[in-house]
Amino acid sequence: MSEAKGRRRDGLALSRALPDRSLLAMVAAMSLLASLTYAGAVGARAVSSRWAAGAANLVTVQVPDPEKPATDTTAGSATSMGEATAHKDGVSDASSAHAAQLPASQPEKQSGSINAATPDMTRATAIEAVLQASPDTQLVHRLNASEIDRLLAPWLGAAGASALPLPAVIEVHLSRGATLSPNVIASIAKIAPGSLIERNDEWRVRLLDIARSLLACAALAILLVGAIGAAVIAMATRLGLGARRESIEILHGLGAVDGYVASRFARRVAGLSLAGGMAGTLLALPPLAGIARLMAPLSGGGALTFGTGETGFSMAEMVTVLATLWGETPPALLWGLGVVPFAAAFIGWITAQVMVRVWLRRLP
Amino acid sequence: MIRLSNVTWRYGSPTRRAAVGRGTDTATALSNVTFSVPQGGFRWLLGPSGAGKSSLLRLLHLEALPQSGELEILGTHVGVGVKRATLARLRQRVGMVHQDFRLMPTLSISDNVALPLRLERRDEAAVADEVAAILRWVGLSERSDALPAELSGGEQQRAAIARAVIARPGVVLADEPTNALEESQSSRIVGMLREVSTLGATVIVATHNDALVRRFPAPALRLERGRLTSDESNAP
Repeated sequence: MSEAKGRRRDGLALSRALPDRSLLAMVAAMSLLASLTYAGAVGARAVSSRWAAGAANLVTVQVPDPEKPATDTTAGSATSMGEATAHKDGVSDASSAHAAQLPASQPEKQSGSINAATPDMTRATAIEAVLQASPDTQLVHRLNASEIDRLLAPWLGAAGASALPLPAVIEVHLSRGATLSPNVIASIAKIAPGSLIERNDEWRVRLLDIARSLLACAALAILLVGAIGAAVIAMATRLGLGARRESIEILHGLGAVDGYVASRFARRVAGLSLAGGMAGTLLALPPLAGIARLMAPLSGGGALTFGTGETGFSMAEMVTVLATLWGETPPALLWGLGVVPFAAAFIGWITAQVMVRVWLRRLP
Repeated sequence: MIRLSNVTWRYGSPTRRAAVGRGTDTATALSNVTFSVPQGGFRWLLGPSGAGKSSLLRLLHLEALPQSGELEILGTHVGVGVKRATLARLRQRVGMVHQDFRLMPTLSISDNVALPLRLERRDEAAVADEVAAILRWVGLSERSDALPAELSGGEQQRAAIARAVIARPGVVLADEPTNALEESQSSRIVGMLREVSTLGATVIVATHNDALVRRFPAPALRLERGRLTSDESNAP
């Protein structure tokens, strides 16, 4: 007989003493929950971070009576961020219409005062010109009629908004970390009093708070799942100890140290927990893949489409989807999911060790 | 050797209470017991039922610890404060033969006998040789693959003796080892235990079989109501 087999022939027969199927199933269920919770937390963090980053850089300006002539085009110039203004009212002269059509990266914008609006401009175009002249602006986009119709469709239906007097909506994408300068805001107020500026950085703070809350909840849930798993393992170990009480007492009488008996139980429980953990993690992959596919457009990944043919999706399509998901899955999620089975095994091992050693204390 | 000096043990000691779950039972099982047995000595342990024979053997097998007095086994002082690992190591040097054999029901006779060596992590090839030799000695070579339930009482007790002595312990204790056996089997068992003592182990055999004691004359320790009433320790 081999040495390894000989060592195992100690009468404990743990493969029969421990409720292996139920323990494996329970650990698999716990690992599934932990995997889904962890994946949810990682996904929420990734999406919220992305959204928060996007929200922080996006400003929306609503200009009432957009086709009216600009009230004060002399206010329609901006200075670069942090730079002192040239005039006491915070605006500089804006007389060149050409400047308003320049892209945001044009060198003239970085030189300070820019002539952005002309007296013959409407309020909307004058504000567009001011915004485009701002050095922190990356993109200025005024929503056209069909885009506004789409925005309002949930409230106004297909009839559209053409009959209503609506403000012009201008989206401004700023450089990362930048904000609209006070001068630009003052210019907008002078050109079109009553304009509404929505700064989304408040949303960013809220999104980050939500993400942090979700992460805290997820951490709590994972801890709870781990604790419940440990309790389940502890109960299974107690069952095994009860079933093998006589054998353990015989081994104890023959001089077996506590560590020997504890390690025999711990190895068995850890093996079952590892298998359960792997099963639970594998079971979590299909729903995670589905969620990841749904969230891909929201989290910045490309939209994954498959299964559009009459025969359903093919194996090749599935492989492509999995490969894409693998490539787009955050490394933290992959690492975390990989750790779940080993964490389950460790919890099983340490729980069994503690339980058996405490139980053995009743013997001298 | 074994040495006891004024050893007292009551049911309800911390270890005993935990072991048997009788926290309220504080009856005195042994009271001021003093004796010693030299290395290689053989002693009968005699007395009526309830005299404390099994309690004394439990103490000597370190299944319980004395509340007072001194207990020394194979040069190691045993008390409440002794480390568990020390007790475990010492227990490996004390062989025990129980009245009910206490063989592992799921293991073959050879695996049962091999247990003490495997707990010492001996090389498996050496274990096989030792087991074969000891089974030859107790006359169970042909039954090595049998399960305990397939053996007679006498055969099971011989297997238990083989397991108790295979690691060449310094002390061998036997608690009524011939209780359920017929005369010829009893003599064979006691003959083996006597042989173990001649090989250098200290042997104490509890029995109330007077015929057996007469057939194998040896110094006796006599207990009554937990007290040692007769000690022939000075006998050869």
